[in-house]
Amino acid sequence: MRSYLLQAIRGITHNKSRTFLTALGIIIGIGTVVLVFSVGEGFKSYINAQVDAFGSNTIFIETSVPASTKDLANGASDSGNVNSSAMNAVPVMTLKNRDVKDVRNIPNVKNSYGASIGQEVVSYKGISKNIFIFGADASRFDIDKGIIVLGRPYSEEEDKSLAQVTILGADIVSDLFGDTDPLGKYIRVGNYNFEVIGVYERKGSSGLSNDDKQIFIPVSTLQKKILGIDYLFYAVVELYDNSKAKISALDVSEVLRRNHNITDSSRDDFKVNTQEESLSVFNTILQAITFLLIAIAFISLVVGGVGVMNIMYVVVTERIGEIGLKKALGARNKDILFEFLIEAVLLTLLGGIIGILGGALFAYIISKVAESFGFAWKFIVPVYGVVISLSISMIIGIIFGVFPARNASKLDPIEALNKE
Amino acid sequence: MLIELKNITKEYDNGGVVTKVLKGISLSVKEGEFLAIMGPSGSGKSTLMHIIGFLDRATSGTYLFDNEDIKDFNDDELAYIRNERIGFVFQSFNLLARTSVLDNVILPLTYSKKKDHINLATKALEAVGLGNRLSFLSNQISGGQKQRVAIARALVCDPKVIFADEPTGNLDSKSGNTVMYILGRLNNEGRTIILVTHDRNVAEHANRIITIKDGEIISDEHNLNSRKSQMIEDDQDIELK
Repeated sequence: MRSYLLQAIRGITHNKSRTFLTALGIIIGIGTVVLVFSVGEGFKSYINAQVDAFGSNTIFIETSVPASTKDLANGASDSGNVNSSAMNAVPVMTLKNRDVKDVRNIPNVKNSYGASIGQEVVSYKGISKNIFIFGADASRFDIDKGIIVLGRPYSEEEDKSLAQVTILGADIVSDLFGDTDPLGKYIRVGNYNFEVIGVYERKGSSGLSNDDKQIFIPVSTLQKKILGIDYLFYAVVELYDNSKAKISALDVSEVLRRNHNITDSSRDDFKVNTQEESLSVFNTILQAITFLLIAIAFISLVVGGVGVMNIMYVVVTERIGEIGLKKALGARNKDILFEFLIEAVLLTLLGGIIGILGGALFAYIISKVAESFGFAWKFIVPVYGVVISLSISMIIGIIFGVFPARNASKLDPIEALNKE
Repeated sequence: MLIELKNITKEYDNGGVVTKVLKGISLSVKEGEFLAIMGPSGSGKSTLMHIIGFLDRATSGTYLFDNEDIKDFNDDELAYIRNERIGFVFQSFNLLARTSVLDNVILPLTYSKKKDHINLATKALEAVGLGNRLSFLSNQISGGQKQRVAIARALVCDPKVIFADEPTGNLDSKSGNTVMYILGRLNNEGRTIILVTHDRNVAEHANRIITIKDGEIISDEHNLNSRKSQMIEDDQDIELK
């Protein structure tokens, strides 16, 4: 076995540039496979961060322009399916604080909160910033996983009494306060002074919003004092049992329809999404991308394998005299077969290893780019991906190496010797 | 009897045209003989050597090696005999390129069950006077040295017979003499040597000369004035240690 390996190493190091070119198809193919696995894992980590942002066991209520009034709302120009109010210029103003409280009467609902978002100039000691202000019920602190590293959350009483208190995102703290302790200080938000009562842990971005660059205040304060509205942008409902999420979502819809006086579900001015539904969108995208890339990888691997086979035929012809000699010196057919087979496998394995490194490098670059755009994206090269890639490259070496190797092993020693 | 050929024929069929290369060769070789097979090119001497050397099979006739009929052997068993019982020396040396002298000699050992490859190969190279060239690459040594490496390679598995096919064909006369001297000494140590050549001067080293023409043995003579014994008696200035 050791001598087969030495022969094979001698073979593939003989013509290094040819070896590299031959392995290129395998390198690209395996690189793509590793890239798919790694980016897939990164994407999952991103989605998990997304899910965590709304806590586990939650369903999500967003406002939605009713289908029947959509044409009016959009004007006659657009007939697209996108009818989330956030996507349209016309706000839906029907989701109210009362809805959030009423859904808590549903048996499987553990808790809920409503949220609105505004934009306002915030200043402290001459430093001003135009930032998003996130208003939510105090119950959000029981549902979301955000960690307050300094100070405390606001209370339900503070929410009810429209208290001017705020919890800052990590970036806002460093922007406005630098290294000084922000707790107990007052910042200016629009026309009001807000007392800083807490600071959130740095979270990183989880998609379109970045919690680190926001401040958080009671939702009632936001609605009454900053925005002058009485409606919510969205609401989050926490469940006891996530396996009953679908039924609970229907229950939530019932409550909202009753509150909004809707009898026909096609006129719903809201949408209730379970986590499963939100995730399924991501999973569909992930599966589509994975399928596409795996198809590319497969084509590349087949092309690479054929390239390996081609070169192995050339190598057999080149070494025909050597094969004859080895047979004269006592090599059995299977010795010759193994020598060439191992050379082919070593070639594809080498391509596989380079491919894994290359794919991992690409995945790393993607993760860094994603991070720089503010996505909470982790760089992971899963062990199963490496194992699968190495196995695939070895299998390709065997499949595409066996025919040239068999040719070599069946050579007539005299003919082979005379070709020298 | 080590080798016994009875009425060996070999025919090649080239698209309906049958060429008879060997037309009934019968020949016996005793252990320890130094035999030269002589003949012009095309006489069939190489084909005969290939058949005796288990590289080719006869069309008809019987070949007994060590009293065993080789018809009963399959390909793997023939490979085993080529590895363990016989050694080949070729005209064009046939060393592995870009490979050290030592690794070239180790090559047949990798197909055998023998252990201690480096030690055996080193001893074989010392026997041909190349103990100080172990790590040289095969393309860094002279033609005469290459053929001596090839002899060491033929020797390393301790075979009964060494086949030498025009071993001096690519060498100058001095290197050729050295090679013939080594073969003669191996014969004196008891090994059977079968030499194929078209050169009478080379054949003269053997104790027995068989001449082949058109696929038939036309003469089988004992060579009483073997140059082998002369060389060894003269104790020629061979550059061997």
